[in-house]
Amino acid sequence: MAPEHENQPIEGLDALRAPNRSEAQRQAAQARILAAAEPLLERRARPATSFEILAAWARPGLVAASVALLVFAAALQFGPDRSSEIQPVTLEDVLASGEAGDVPALLVAINEPDTDAVMAAALLQNGNGGRVPDDSGEGQ
Amino acid sequence: MDATGEGQTPVIDEPLLVERVRRGDREAFGILVDRYSEQAFAVAYGFLQHAEDSEDLVQDAFIRALERIDKLGRGSNFGPWFYRLLVNAALNRRKYLARRRTEDVPASASGPDSPAVDTERAELRGRLAAAVSSLPDDLETVVVLHDLEGFTHPEIAKVLGIPEGTCRSHLSRARRMLREALKEYQR
Repeated sequence: MAPEHENQPIEGLDALRAPNRSEAQRQAAQARILAAAEPLLERRARPATSFEILAAWARPGLVAASVALLVFAAALQFGPDRSSEIQPVTLEDVLASGEAGDVPALLVAINEPDTDAVMAAALLQNGNGGRVPDDSGEGQ
Repeated sequence: MDATGEGQTPVIDEPLLVERVRRGDREAFGILVDRYSEQAFAVAYGFLQHAEDSEDLVQDAFIRALERIDKLGRGSNFGPWFYRLLVNAALNRRKYLARRRTEDVPASASGPDSPAVDTERAELRGRLAAAVSSLPDDLETVVVLHDLEGFTHPEIAKVLGIPEGTCRSHLSRARRMLREALKEYQR
């Protein structure tokens, strides 16, 4: 419960009240308001042109486009890391493993190799150093 | 005076007036201006303490209301919504004023008193204005609307979109703070 004096207005606060305006002052003030409102009222009174309809959609359209752009950028930035995805066995992998004498890349690959990689592995298996044998049989 | 503006012009269903204003009806807008402009001026003056600034503010508030009238809910009354626009505009306007101006005491209020009495009155007025404007925005708004302009608590609650109980507690707190601020002067 508030103390009794808090239920009473502050003494002298009336001094802050607006001065009384004459009828002429009121009319003049109202006339100014109506004059300032005239262009807006006129615009409301006539049907909107197609350009105005488009203009009205421009701002929400820009906002929507900005949001979409932000979402796209965020997806690129924070999306799954593509570098961790399994890459197919390439010809270079096969040749490198053949030269180093490691386990052939085809054996350790998880996914299927392309045709070039299979061919290269076959040639390496034949001890041909990855060279295609010619018809004269010099490579043997 | 009251926040509905009724009693100044013949009562016409206000949501209907708003609908007409939406369609650009000058007469309907004129009725709203006639109904609310005088009280709006008094409210604006309560915040700004300057007649010309208050007139400008009221004009701006009506124009802003007209620009945004499509956002006023169908079937809603214009008054509380308009006063909310006005109060927000008044608080913003004052923040942008370079320095606080207090208008000279109007000649009609000074009467036949001696210059010394007039000076004292002006000083009291300045202190009161400074004390009221130093209140937090929500408390100041309740003081201006209730103690200066005679709005009821339900009306203020509608304008500010707060519960009536909050409105009452704001007023008590505001008066307590004002008495504290003016204590030295009232001794």
